[in-house]
Amino acid sequence: MDPREKALGQFISLIWKNATRNRRRSLLTVASIAASFCLLGVLLAIYVALFISRDESPAGSRRLVTRNRISLTQVMPISYEAKIRQVPGVEAIMAYQWFGGVYKEPKNFFARFACEPAQLFQIYPDYRVAEDEKRAFIADRAGALLGRDLAAKYQLKVGDKITLKGDIFPVDLEFNIRGLFDADKNEDVMWFNIDYLWKSLPADRRDFAGTYLMLTQSAEDSPAVAQQIDSLFRNAQVRTKTESESAFAASFVSFLGNVKLYLFAISAAITFTILLVCGNTIAMSVRERVREVGIMKTLGFTNGEVMGMILGEATVISLLGGFFGCVIAYLLCKAVSGASGGFANLEGMTLAPWMWVTVMTAAVVMGTLAAIWPAWGASRTSIIEAMRYSG
Amino acid sequence: MSEVVIEARKLSKTFKRDEFEVRALDNCDIEIKRGEFVALMGPSGSGKSTLMHLIAAMDRATSGRIAVLGEDLSQFDDAELARWRNRHIGFIFQQFNLIPVLTALENVELPLKLTSLNGKERIAQAETALRLVGLGDRMTHFPRQLSGGQEQRVAIARAIATDPDILIADEPTGNLDAQSASDVMVMLQKLNQDFGKTIIMVTHDRHAAEYATVIRHLEKGELKPEVEYPKKPV
Repeated sequence: MDPREKALGQFISLIWKNATRNRRRSLLTVASIAASFCLLGVLLAIYVALFISRDESPAGSRRLVTRNRISLTQVMPISYEAKIRQVPGVEAIMAYQWFGGVYKEPKNFFARFACEPAQLFQIYPDYRVAEDEKRAFIADRAGALLGRDLAAKYQLKVGDKITLKGDIFPVDLEFNIRGLFDADKNEDVMWFNIDYLWKSLPADRRDFAGTYLMLTQSAEDSPAVAQQIDSLFRNAQVRTKTESESAFAASFVSFLGNVKLYLFAISAAITFTILLVCGNTIAMSVRERVREVGIMKTLGFTNGEVMGMILGEATVISLLGGFFGCVIAYLLCKAVSGASGGFANLEGMTLAPWMWVTVMTAAVVMGTLAAIWPAWGASRTSIIEAMRYSG
Repeated sequence: MSEVVIEARKLSKTFKRDEFEVRALDNCDIEIKRGEFVALMGPSGSGKSTLMHLIAAMDRATSGRIAVLGEDLSQFDDAELARWRNRHIGFIFQQFNLIPVLTALENVELPLKLTSLNGKERIAQAETALRLVGLGDRMTHFPRQLSGGQEQRVAIARAIATDPDILIADEPTGNLDAQSASDVMVMLQKLNQDFGKTIIMVTHDRHAAEYATVIRHLEKGELKPEVEYPKKPV
């Protein structure tokens, strides 16, 4: 191998020393790149959580949700439950209603769903509840079942009473906590009996369901079952839309507007900003060292080697920025995931290993791209011109 | 008869400054033999630096021919010239021009990284060069931790590290006090006489020029006939 071909590898220490020679500037550049790529990482994680990730557990892939085709805010007649139960492939079904409400203060946000308790454990076989608690929850119309972490967060225990002040529904409901459950995911949920809700409402607002939750006999059946359910009500007054539980959760995001467009627009703005930040920093750094470029050329460095070293510096800085950005993004994802209360799949939001690789690759590509122009200019400066430069 | 290492015939260099043309070097003929220590003198703008740049392949002539070590440098592309400089030329500058983020040893090792030597060989050679200039105890010092004279000695060590045929010195004593200047000139003289290095030095300093074996004057781009001066004893 030509010794010059291996030269760049030998200059890693010089590249590092040049990249960190102005420590304050390098630190600020790394910090600004880290902030930008942290945002990019979080946006990527949000996008994946909202639009791509699916509950891959055996039961998760068998769960379907049917709702009013017009909107989530529109309800369906309770008579649909019996009809859907007849659809081949449906193993279990229950009416399922978002209650909303306020527990003590609006900031105490967690999911509160009215359900049919007996069917709940069929549809969520992964829920682990003590048998006596399960029986007590099914038997008590005012009973409530809470995720164990959620109960711990609000220092609630079995036997306590909990009152939810209605906001969507014009009723305040008092519940007896009958059981606590453990689950593989999404424990920040409170379940209660939909009968209790119906009986508390005026007669004209009873016997409806916002959604129906089903368990199909197999994951392979699910798409066909969903199609059959929607076909069943194609000519009905209230048409339905049936989708997987994950897709349903993601549809909550549509309330926020065109989230995909927002995410892409913000990502593009970040990327452009990073390009400018990196380009400016490298340009400043190169301007201060024009004379050194001349010296290196007198020692035998070629234009390509000079350019390679400057690009190397940009890569080092952007790689560091990308790495720290990923670390912060990872921690933020963890925080958002913990505080999401199961909203729109955000509970599963994380910076997966492939996202680390993607964000860091993007960092390197952007950093290198931004440095190409100043690096090219420096490498093309003649020795005499460079040596005359007094900085 | 000594081998001619630098041979220039009718060498000219013209610069364009806005709409004006400046003839920095005009039909210059010069022959420098291996082992000579040539001092190029002359007032500012006389063309001495331009001639030095052409000899060191830092610039290309407008017309004429120059062969250095038997090679016609006008035939080389930029990358080939860079390789050629690394193998055959060592530079010593008025402003020392060390890389500030590198230690003395790393500065001297830098041109060796472009050779086929492995890490150990490079370090050994750089250490030898530093000991030769009397800086064996300053190897891990950064340029800012050295005096001007010491910095120039590191620069000399860097220039000789690759064992080049020709040393080019551009006002090597210009930024030094009298004692350091004298030390540097003695060192260059030693490299010339003990190690047979061909040295081409541009200088304004009459005292520095006395260490050379040949002094050539340039005026308005023209090379004046060779003049014999009394030489400084080693």
